[in-house]
Amino acid sequence: MKRLTTLALALLATLVLGTTFAQQRGGQLVFGRYADSLFLDPVLNDANLDIWVLTNLYDPLLQPTADGKDVAPDLATAWSFSSDGLTLTLTLRDGIKFADGSPITAQDAKWSLDRARNPDNGIWNFTLAAIDSIDASGNKVIIHLKHPDPTIVPALSMFNAAIMPEKLFEAAKGSTDAEKAKAFAEHPIGSGPFVLSEWKRGSYMVITRNPYYWEKGTDGKALPYLDSIRFEIVPDDATRILKLQSRELDAAEFIPLSRVGELQKDPNINMELFPSTQVNSVLMNNRPTLPNGTPNPLSSLEVRQALNYATNKQALIQVVNFGIGTPMQSFMSTTTPYYVATRSYAYDLEKAKSLLAQAGFPNGFTVSALATAGSQNDLALLTALQSMWGEVGIKLKIEQLDAATKTERYRNNDFQMRTAGWTNDINDPSEITSYFAVYENIQSLHTGFKSAEIDKLFAESQQELDKTKRAEEYKQIQKIFMDAAPIVFLYETPYPVAIRKTVTGLNQIPLGNYIFKTAYKTTN
Amino acid sequence: MNRWQYALTRILQMIPTLLVIMVLVFAMVRLLPGDPAVAILGDRVTDQAVARVHKELGLDKPLPVQFWYFLERVARGDLGTSINLKVPVTQLIADRMPVTLFLTLYAGVLAALLSVPAAVLSALKRGTWVDNLIRAIFQVGLSLPVFYLSLQLLGFFGARLHWFPVGGIGPTAASDLYYLFLPALSLGFYLAAILMRNLRSSILEVLDAEYVDFARAKGIRPRLVLFKHILRNALISTVTLFGLSVGQLMGGAVITETVFAIPGVGRLMVDAIFGRDYAVVQGLTLAFAVVIMVVFLLTDLAYSTLDPRTKVA
Repeated sequence: MKRLTTLALALLATLVLGTTFAQQRGGQLVFGRYADSLFLDPVLNDANLDIWVLTNLYDPLLQPTADGKDVAPDLATAWSFSSDGLTLTLTLRDGIKFADGSPITAQDAKWSLDRARNPDNGIWNFTLAAIDSIDASGNKVIIHLKHPDPTIVPALSMFNAAIMPEKLFEAAKGSTDAEKAKAFAEHPIGSGPFVLSEWKRGSYMVITRNPYYWEKGTDGKALPYLDSIRFEIVPDDATRILKLQSRELDAAEFIPLSRVGELQKDPNINMELFPSTQVNSVLMNNRPTLPNGTPNPLSSLEVRQALNYATNKQALIQVVNFGIGTPMQSFMSTTTPYYVATRSYAYDLEKAKSLLAQAGFPNGFTVSALATAGSQNDLALLTALQSMWGEVGIKLKIEQLDAATKTERYRNNDFQMRTAGWTNDINDPSEITSYFAVYENIQSLHTGFKSAEIDKLFAESQQELDKTKRAEEYKQIQKIFMDAAPIVFLYETPYPVAIRKTVTGLNQIPLGNYIFKTAYKTTN
Repeated sequence: MNRWQYALTRILQMIPTLLVIMVLVFAMVRLLPGDPAVAILGDRVTDQAVARVHKELGLDKPLPVQFWYFLERVARGDLGTSINLKVPVTQLIADRMPVTLFLTLYAGVLAALLSVPAAVLSALKRGTWVDNLIRAIFQVGLSLPVFYLSLQLLGFFGARLHWFPVGGIGPTAASDLYYLFLPALSLGFYLAAILMRNLRSSILEVLDAEYVDFARAKGIRPRLVLFKHILRNALISTVTLFGLSVGQLMGGAVITETVFAIPGVGRLMVDAIFGRDYAVVQGLTLAFAVVIMVVFLLTDLAYSTLDPRTKVA
């Protein structure tokens, strides 16, 4: 009897202690993704599918903060500019190692950044274009810039600036960088919280705990708390949700907005709506004539503004997004640094009609929009716009094309309107601005919008180190762009990730990167 | 000409067919608007980056040259490298084809197991409530879209009852019998419905034949009459139908693979087409063509086994 009581007490004690522990270490988190990664190289990849996983395998010198607005130390503990802003010196953390136990040196940092900024490598080298040369000296990485660059610090926290092991990479099979990258990406070694251990393409991927990871948890021991993460690829939304509800998945990404309400009511699930940099708009071809030679009604400012006034954004959010999202008041998301709420184009049918009449279209006109075939959201959005704009006489024709064909059409500027979404890749407004508002890059997302004033302000802001002056420049850029209305501004939507209540600490920052290092599972 | 010679001749005849298929798929995939370089680099990419990737992939060369390189590599057994996934196409096919073949075969077996007894019962008890019930059930199978049936099975037997896992494949081939049961069932049910109708009417035709009456008059046991005389003759047209339907089954596997999250070649093909992954589309089409032609060959051989009157030559 006494033995039994002791045993019972011991069991009780373990249970109580177990549930009062702050973080429980160990275990595997099963995460459901809608598609598999393609290529896990920080420099040569292109898709979010790769980026959002890469940031768990590799560390750059700095990391983005959780709110997406700033940077924090990562492999580097401190950084400072010279007085002329042309030299940036970073100090490496002590005792940092790659996942194979070899030490991370300033030479590895130099080599990784030189590889990342090489214009022949991948599509992200533009973020580091201001770098002239890099020196590695002891535990210091010294970056020499061609000109002062306010974006260089955020750029160093981006995924493509990840520090890779030079010796291991160069030892990989192959003669060109691309070949070595392919071979190395089969068994990548970085310094992130996890290491790739198994990958059955299209089916699942397992990343396991890196025992040499530098960051410590709240219990004083090294992160991550989890032993491993298993990514299950479940392309069908309905199946992914079923697997989550039947406990085969601990978390599932890209929950269709139509199912969010239902999952919010599920007592076992936290239906997270993480703030994002995701903005949705309808891009318009601003050029005076269309490819077939006919005059383009969208080239008129009044017409474009009219379309914005004729768009009931709140109604769209209710109908298309099931109430999830906020109307845009700038072309960038509220989570982008230097965002300013500039102009909202409140729903006003009368104003829209009078602007159209002013522009010479009192009876409206016909216009076509490209949608991605198979996208429920695109179809719902354009159908709603069809009826809204019909009220001011605009007849909208919807052209559904598969993604690659749609891309080909608008890259050839052969479109009138098209649906578009965007997420930032860097904690700085320069990227989105260079694509949306600056002609030189890709003709303002192929809209053909060109503002000499914006081009000038942008060029200045790219070398302006004073934060106040730079903020002012961006305030003006946003004002000019919003007034010119080259696009129909719609809404900003969060990232819908459904997580079982047994998981804590799983995060997704506005850039889209998943933070798994702070995640842990509780047993109840 | 005996059966082995016939099989060999047929295999040799596959080669010119494959050549024609290669030309067709090579041309078709390049006629599609959309650029593989843009697909891998993303739609924000500059024209210089696109040109650079074209050069890397050899897409800047004239089409006949590209086709020649393709033929040359296929002759060496190299189907190229996936543009999107950067692994050899043969590796992708080797990883994923067995799953799809297993699923298709499993679906076929289930379809046969469902349709043959049902057809026999339905035909023998023609006109009764048994016949009507069986035909009604299978009619439902014909009318339900595959993805709808799949989701219903998953939701009920998987998520609610936990009798089966919610999609995915098992760690071993043996465990796949369990994991792939629901997907094979939803894929095979449609085929079962078609086969059942066909077999039932074949049996009814045969039942009226003189040789059946004769066999019964001779006093042969009913079961023997059923198998040796009735079924064997009735199955001829059904087996042909079955063989022809394999292509359809493989096509249907695409939807099933997506809903059930099965990493097979159906999904691979769809992703490759959307991603303009020329190498995978070409290589996979060749693989499909070979599989289907082998199935046709086996069907013809089975046909000649069932009906000794037909000679293979």
